[in-house]
Amino acid sequence: MAQSRESCIICQIVENKVPSLKVYEDDITLAVLDINGANPGHCFVMPKNHYPIIEQVPDEELASVFGIANKISSAIFDSLKVQGTNIFVANGIPAGQTVAHFMVNVIPRKENDGINLQWKPKQLSEEEMSTVELKLKEQVENIEVKPEKKKRQISSQKAEPKFISDEDDFFMSQMRRIP
Amino acid sequence: MAEKEMDEEQLKALQEKLSKMSPEELKEFQKKQCIFCQIINGKVQSKKVYEDEHVIAILDINPANPGHILVMPKEHYSIMPQISDEEVGNIFVVAKALSNASLRALEAQGSNIIVANGVVAGQRAQHFMIHLIPRKENDNVNFNLPQKTIAEDELQAMHKKLTEALGTKAEKTEESKKEQIPKYMEKNVIDAEFREKPQKESILQLDKMRKEGKGAKDTEKEAKSSINLDDIAKILGAK
Repeated sequence: MAQSRESCIICQIVENKVPSLKVYEDDITLAVLDINGANPGHCFVMPKNHYPIIEQVPDEELASVFGIANKISSAIFDSLKVQGTNIFVANGIPAGQTVAHFMVNVIPRKENDGINLQWKPKQLSEEEMSTVELKLKEQVENIEVKPEKKKRQISSQKAEPKFISDEDDFFMSQMRRIP
Repeated sequence: MAEKEMDEEQLKALQEKLSKMSPEELKEFQKKQCIFCQIINGKVQSKKVYEDEHVIAILDINPANPGHILVMPKEHYSIMPQISDEEVGNIFVVAKALSNASLRALEAQGSNIIVANGVVAGQRAQHFMIHLIPRKENDNVNFNLPQKTIAEDELQAMHKKLTEALGTKAEKTEESKKEQIPKYMEKNVIDAEFREKPQKESILQLDKMRKEGKGAKDTEKEAKSSINLDDIAKILGAK
């Protein structure tokens, strides 16, 4: 695949250049056990194609990856006899991402296992909340978020993203912003 | 005091009622009790940022960061294993678009996506939901996962169990998927409906597209549209 990077450890796992404990594999998705997991049974699920962050993953591949994450979460419930699972994605450096290949963590959970994915709620005024709501809504309207629509596009094999130019502008401006 | 006694009596009556309910009735009952179902049908107010036929997204009133969004299926499910793979995929596709929107709208520099299945995993609401949390540097949010050293034999045992539970390939029958779901998770009509649908359809179509070389074009477009993301990749790679 032209997009895979020689420097990407995950791509090397996908290409079998680095050994791993694979628990699931198909044409689009690969899932491996984390050898330094947050808990035993912690799995990574990722698209085989190289995409650093979630925004780059095409909808069909993303749906497939999370569908498999669901399967793995169910399998963890069933075969590892745990009381819960977390699905966790770190997208971007401030979010804690350390590997430049988009991946989904599926983590088995038991009581007192030393994992803390809780947060302290921040106090926002009604006004601040409304501002955030408005800003988000404005952007959501600009973005085509229609999984159903997308599916139809696949079946008719005419996937034509309509927002390319807009996307370019945005990403260009983001590039300048992010150090 | 009198009031309290009434409550206990009511509780007793309720427990009795619950024990007699069929799974369908129980589900209906859960739905009535679920605050998020009331938000979805408009009985309780919320700040909606996205809605389609199956999925709704609202602002969390106790946000980890400004712009913290809850993405939920409109149908009531308590945990993810109850939902079909296809529907899970759809919900996350919406989450991706909303992550994109929050990068633009709130000048976020990243996002976390968190799902908690089960109380031990931190689940509080009775309604399955995805937490989408916009992130900025030094925002006082910390989701660092511990890295445990797991013994080789334990890893091998986990690997064996999981590969057995998952089968070797994607060709898992709907039947085996049903068996895989723990007994304590009640099924429901909608769920069954999704199960009957060929879940692999879209994946197979994508497969076909790729074989015919039609997917490559889209990938190219995707690459074009994401110049700065590659840049992020470089930064990530350098770290």
